[in-house]
Amino acid sequence: MPITLLRVHKGAAAVLALLALSASLLLAALPRAFERSYDQALSDVLGGAVATTTDLTVGERPFDSPELLTEPAQFAARDDLWRRTLPPELRRIMASKSTDFGAETFLTPVADRFDKLGFGTQYLDLAWLPAAEQRVRYVKGKPPGPAGAITYKGQRIVRYDVAVASDAVTQMGLDVGATVVLGYSDPMAARVTGVYELTDPKDRYWDHHLNVPKVTVRAKDLDEEYLITGLTSADSLKYLNAHRNLNYFWVLGTDRSALTARDAQQVIDAIDVYRRAVTGRTTNFRPYTLDTGLNDLLKGYLQRLATAQTLMLLILGGLGLVAIGVAALAAQLLTERMRSGLTLMRARGGGLGQLVVTGTSVVALVTLPAVLVGYGLAALVPGPVTLAVHLGPALLAVAAIAYTAGRLALTHRRPLDERRDDVVARKPSPRRLVLEATVAGLALAGAYLLRTRGLQESDPFLMAVPAALTLAAALITVRCYPLPLRLFVWLTARRRPAVPFLGFTRAARGRSVAALPVLVLLPALAVSVFGSVVSAAVGDTQRVAAWQQVGASARVEREEAITPEMIQRIQRTPGVEAVVPVAKGNSDVGGHPTTVVAVDLGAYRKILAGTPLTVPDAPRTVPGGVGGLVSPSLGGAPTFEIDWPSKVRVVRTGTITGLNGLASPEYNLVVVPFDGPANTLLIKGGVRKDDLAAAVNAPDALIMTVDDSLRQIQDAPLTSTVLAAFTIVTIALGAYALIAVIIALVAGAADRAKALAYLRTLGLSQRQARGLTVLEVTPLIVLTAVAGLLLGLALPAALAPGIDLSAYAGSAVDGFPLTLGTPTLLAAGLTAVAVLGAFAHASAGRAVTGALRLGESA
Amino acid sequence: MSVSDLSSLEAAALARRPAFGDSAHILCDNLVRIYKTEGVEVVALQGLDLLIDKGELVAIVGASGSGKSTLLNVLSGLDVPTAGLARVAGMDLLSMSAKDRLRYRRSIVGFIWQQTARNLLPYLSARENVLLPMRLARRPRSARQRADELLELLGVADCASRTPAEMSGGQQQRVAIAVALANEPGVILADEPTGELDSETSAEVFAALRAANRELGVTAVIVTHDPLVSEQVDRTVGIRDGRTSSETLRRTSEDGDVIAEEYAVLDRVGRLQLPRDFMSALEMERRVRLELERDHIGVWPVREDASDDE
Repeated sequence: MPITLLRVHKGAAAVLALLALSASLLLAALPRAFERSYDQALSDVLGGAVATTTDLTVGERPFDSPELLTEPAQFAARDDLWRRTLPPELRRIMASKSTDFGAETFLTPVADRFDKLGFGTQYLDLAWLPAAEQRVRYVKGKPPGPAGAITYKGQRIVRYDVAVASDAVTQMGLDVGATVVLGYSDPMAARVTGVYELTDPKDRYWDHHLNVPKVTVRAKDLDEEYLITGLTSADSLKYLNAHRNLNYFWVLGTDRSALTARDAQQVIDAIDVYRRAVTGRTTNFRPYTLDTGLNDLLKGYLQRLATAQTLMLLILGGLGLVAIGVAALAAQLLTERMRSGLTLMRARGGGLGQLVVTGTSVVALVTLPAVLVGYGLAALVPGPVTLAVHLGPALLAVAAIAYTAGRLALTHRRPLDERRDDVVARKPSPRRLVLEATVAGLALAGAYLLRTRGLQESDPFLMAVPAALTLAAALITVRCYPLPLRLFVWLTARRRPAVPFLGFTRAARGRSVAALPVLVLLPALAVSVFGSVVSAAVGDTQRVAAWQQVGASARVEREEAITPEMIQRIQRTPGVEAVVPVAKGNSDVGGHPTTVVAVDLGAYRKILAGTPLTVPDAPRTVPGGVGGLVSPSLGGAPTFEIDWPSKVRVVRTGTITGLNGLASPEYNLVVVPFDGPANTLLIKGGVRKDDLAAAVNAPDALIMTVDDSLRQIQDAPLTSTVLAAFTIVTIALGAYALIAVIIALVAGAADRAKALAYLRTLGLSQRQARGLTVLEVTPLIVLTAVAGLLLGLALPAALAPGIDLSAYAGSAVDGFPLTLGTPTLLAAGLTAVAVLGAFAHASAGRAVTGALRLGESA
Repeated sequence: MSVSDLSSLEAAALARRPAFGDSAHILCDNLVRIYKTEGVEVVALQGLDLLIDKGELVAIVGASGSGKSTLLNVLSGLDVPTAGLARVAGMDLLSMSAKDRLRYRRSIVGFIWQQTARNLLPYLSARENVLLPMRLARRPRSARQRADELLELLGVADCASRTPAEMSGGQQQRVAIAVALANEPGVILADEPTGELDSETSAEVFAALRAANRELGVTAVIVTHDPLVSEQVDRTVGIRDGRTSSETLRRTSEDGDVIAEEYAVLDRVGRLQLPRDFMSALEMERRVRLELERDHIGVWPVREDASDDE
């Protein structure tokens, strides 16, 4: 029988199948795409970090000789131990082929040189790095050999062989054959036997050994210090002891591609566990440490992820709610179509169970394959499979089938169903009222909690709040929408034209048909509007953040002065409208390091006209010094001296905190009038970065444009996913809302056709009939659209304190401006299309007699 | 007369008289059905009495809104009466459980609606339509054979594999009768079965009903407006304002003429409906005077002056 019914009602079945398929596809594919972008964001975060941050390094500072490791095999055994004791969560993310361990001295001073050449303060550290040997190529000399001895100041001291990077030859005079004395007390000698270059300078291996590839120059007081680490042989291990600053280390390299967003928290926990395990082995002679930045990196990432997940859950929840509603609506259409057949079966001796099984199997036969196909198609979308991927389609199928079963059981409870809903409205059942009040109460309580508590950790109750609020609003709308309509009915009843009265009356009474479309239309609109408001707010903030980063349309910054020729070249560059020169440097105010910006604020303000940025008034000119704006953090001294750009006395004429792009608010700042020479230029006009770079023609210049910054902010993986998801879901929801209205129209068509046919026999014209249909459908759509619009506008404001969008916007999103443009357009567009659909439906002519007969036999 | 004599007399009287309607196949006693809609009560049946014997062919006539269809819905087990007694083939329609009611609809009654389209599933063939009640009642054994026999009996064997759309109205109704008879019910109920048919087709359908009544021995109750039908049954029960008001009995006289005699219905407590035209002819209203004569009861209108004198 189900197959026969399916064949007969193939139209309605096809609608249900299509909706189930598309909904299942969206519900299974979107979480995959989201998860993929989370992983992508994580891999970006990890990719941007140096290996010392992402890898785990076990360190040991040996103190005394019984504990010294003198053989490579001892290091290897310890390496094996560290790896064996890794928690499984960490073992899983370990890079397979990365053994990096060794011994390294640090800050070993060069006390003397046998060649007596003077090269300032030098440090030559010794490192035994077995893994470095395959990563260097000797350009001179040979690899270091076993240690020996040498006489220095009449004493025999140990002599190590070392190899150094070619950089050290020029900068530190450490060429092959050079021998230096290391350490002031207990000295030892190092002889350079080879000079090498790196085979692959980009190898992340070198992140752990920054001083091996090149000389580091550090400024100290007025002098400079040179640091280099030389490679030595395994034989040297015997002599490397606690007289030097000595470190043993084992790097446990991570495979960054093995880390996913889902196991980030586990990894953080496992690192803590491992740290305890490693430091727990510490004895008096062996302090062990575990160094890694991975947990902090992941914590920061998870914080941003939580917001993304809330937003995703919100829109996915909305989409799920709407998809389930539409699927239920389509299932209802199908059961309505089967109604006469099932009623006859019931009358002819069909048990309730038989009927429910028959009708539900029809829906199941349609829904299950469609959901499975959608689910299968979603597998084509790349991305990891999470529980949500299975849960969405499963919920959809279960909801459609359960709804059908419930509805059939309710409809055919009695064999002879006297449907007089058109005459007498059913009284609301107290149970339903209590249920609805509970949903509304829970939603409001949840919203309050979300506002006060925020979303610190993933709390499923709080995450469901937006969806619950939407549902509550929909229920209230269903319950209350006839009330304003009754007013219209009362008004129209006193006027002569019959059509408005009839239309509003029918609209106010058509409750049974109305519930589902409202439950679909309202969340659809609310989530779309919410999405557009949040996107707009994020977009605005991104724009402001980009402007704030740059400080003008473009900015050129140099360490050295920018010459007037350069400025002229820039002024001639196409797109440049105005250039404001700025001098920016550091000074000392009362012992506080302070940023000094010398700029003509009047000129700066002129080039900012029409941008989201503002600048304060220029400081007044004062006698006996220059007027300056001073940040409050510098205290209240009315005058003070600065020594940059020239030694002047500054008289405080106002306060300032931060200056767009030039100084951030957390630093001390003094702004004085510009008095050349410039090292920064603020540029107005739509100039391209490449053109500017060509005009500046200085490789050390930092060039920023607003477009560039904006693109960088927008292209962050999480940001682009959030915004893309909003777009996709908005479109899908719009389509579903439209389908819901059309299905509701079609489902009520027989009933409406019957009523219209009776009225037409009483003299209703075709035109009036059309008007009646539109009037009957429009109030519901308009009222629901208004409710959805209001809810969508209220949601961001209601939830704002709980959802931190700053990670997406480049800076904190403060407040959601009530931008009515896009949301209103969305609501109006949806309403217009739905009403047009109703009009088209009404315009399709139907024979009066056919309708009457159809009505009789229904 | 002694006390023992009295009680023995009473016992004898009771023993001789069976309970009301004991032998009847269909029994309605003081049946009441009230529809409640918001704030409004509609009393569709107001104490209806009806007795139908097994194997009878009875027509029920009455004006629109008189309660015929309600009675039929009650008898078919689709509707539950509010009060009174309704018993069909020994089953009490008021106290039946949902399961009993289902069994009752499956195997005790069959029914035919006026609208041909409502009787049959449009997408099933005639045979499949007849098979449907048997399949719902889970009686698959020899069901197909029985379906074919029924279609044969009702003269629509050639339509067995046609869908309703491919049959005439008369054929559809005869298939509907076959559907109603599928599970060998003891009673079939028909609500205006010929209402949508022309007179020639009506005759065919009525003949089919009569054939089922005669050949299979089922009790048939037909609600009808159609004089063609009501004039051909043995007994026609008239319903007015939710009560049985009159009965017309037909018998064939010795010379072959059909003699119809209309009777008023007297209920168990002695109530009787006078035909409206009788009442208006004698301007009877509110009160009448009854006089018991030797072989009849006289009903006299009350004159205002006479009543004043008394």
